[in-house]
Amino acid sequence: MPTFDSENAAKLHRELHTHLPSDPVLRVKTLESLAVERGLVAPESLDAWIEAYSEHIGPKRGAHVVARSWLDPGFRTRLLDDAAEAIKEFDYQGDASAHLKAVENTDTQHNMVVCTLCSCYPFSILGMSPAWYKSTEYRARAVREPRKVLTEFGVALPEDVSVRVWDSTAELRYLVVPQRPSGTDGWSEERLAALVTRNSMIGTERDLKAEAG
Amino acid sequence: MDGIHDLGGVEGFGPVPVKSGDKDFRDLEDWEKRAFALNWSPIAPGSTIDWFRHGLERMVPADYLAFSYFQKWCTNDLIRMLDNGTITLEDVKRGHVENPIAPPPAMTVQDAVADVAASAFSFERDTLQRPAFSVGDTVQARRHINANHTRLPRYVRGLEGVVLAHHGAHVLPDRNAEGVEVPEHLYTVGFRAVTLWGEDSDPRDDVTLDLWESYLVPA
Repeated sequence: MPTFDSENAAKLHRELHTHLPSDPVLRVKTLESLAVERGLVAPESLDAWIEAYSEHIGPKRGAHVVARSWLDPGFRTRLLDDAAEAIKEFDYQGDASAHLKAVENTDTQHNMVVCTLCSCYPFSILGMSPAWYKSTEYRARAVREPRKVLTEFGVALPEDVSVRVWDSTAELRYLVVPQRPSGTDGWSEERLAALVTRNSMIGTERDLKAEAG
Repeated sequence: MDGIHDLGGVEGFGPVPVKSGDKDFRDLEDWEKRAFALNWSPIAPGSTIDWFRHGLERMVPADYLAFSYFQKWCTNDLIRMLDNGTITLEDVKRGHVENPIAPPPAMTVQDAVADVAASAFSFERDTLQRPAFSVGDTVQARRHINANHTRLPRYVRGLEGVVLAHHGAHVLPDRNAEGVEVPEHLYTVGFRAVTLWGEDSDPRDDVTLDLWESYLVPA
């Protein structure tokens, strides 16, 4: 059992800092060896996790959710009302998504998601978070100068658009629903989903393009 | 605690490394993938999400800023195993334990996918307490939070915002980091950008945070 002793955690960190090279390859190898030798995990289970996240869990899931919300007004209502419940229709529920909230971009509002205190992210619906999302630059600046940050991502906001930044400080996780691009009338859910980028579901991309599909 | 992790609004950082994140999970370094998978595994029984977060907050500050994400994670997972008494510092230096035992049965990919689906853990809890605030109320974030771990960032402390949503009672992180579950009402609070950063900010913009009742006082 953990001690839940803050000072003990700090002391242990200082000891590792002093006695263990910081090379992450070595540290992960050490962690894996010790966890396996203590009988806590099988190495093949780690391979299974990696395979699951490589082949089955990723931003394609979120893209399908967004595409369906464009096509099916009833689903859109359910998604905006309770996204954690709505994604069960796809069997996408899972880690960090029990309190999922979908926030929709409009002609006058742009939404953008950050976690300033760590790097909280809706893994089961968007997969592994991109490196920039976990960077100190994004975590520090997204809340203070979101418009400048958006410019760095190549987003040019129209004149009358407000920006709302969602800082994920609790267990709620946010999924931005981008606007459906024009020129996509009659498209299938599959074809629409191919247009939806990971960044657009975090809010660092705004205008999706029909030609991308 | 007012730690190095509390980065919101800190100035001096350069451009966001926009292109760094275009890697798919399958293209990450092998050690990064294994660090992620290890973190998913039951290597520190009894731990809570907030104990994990607090462990990261207690890293040597210079390491916190210098280490990459998974470098932080694997370091903190070693700390959790050390703190649990599962391993010793000597084991870590040696890279092996003295009397190893056999690992548990291996999971299949289907097991892993099912485990992710079964991990939609709710943090909402029943409470007899009535909520102190309603949607539309103006509230003020507390200036001082005397907890080791808290989810009230520095950049909103002492400032006024408006309650946008009430989510019922959720497990309070400050106590969950100590292994104690205390339900408390949780709200989404919107703070105007000009309130947070001054008149140079765009008057149309705002930032929302999900804040527990004990982080707030009536304005």
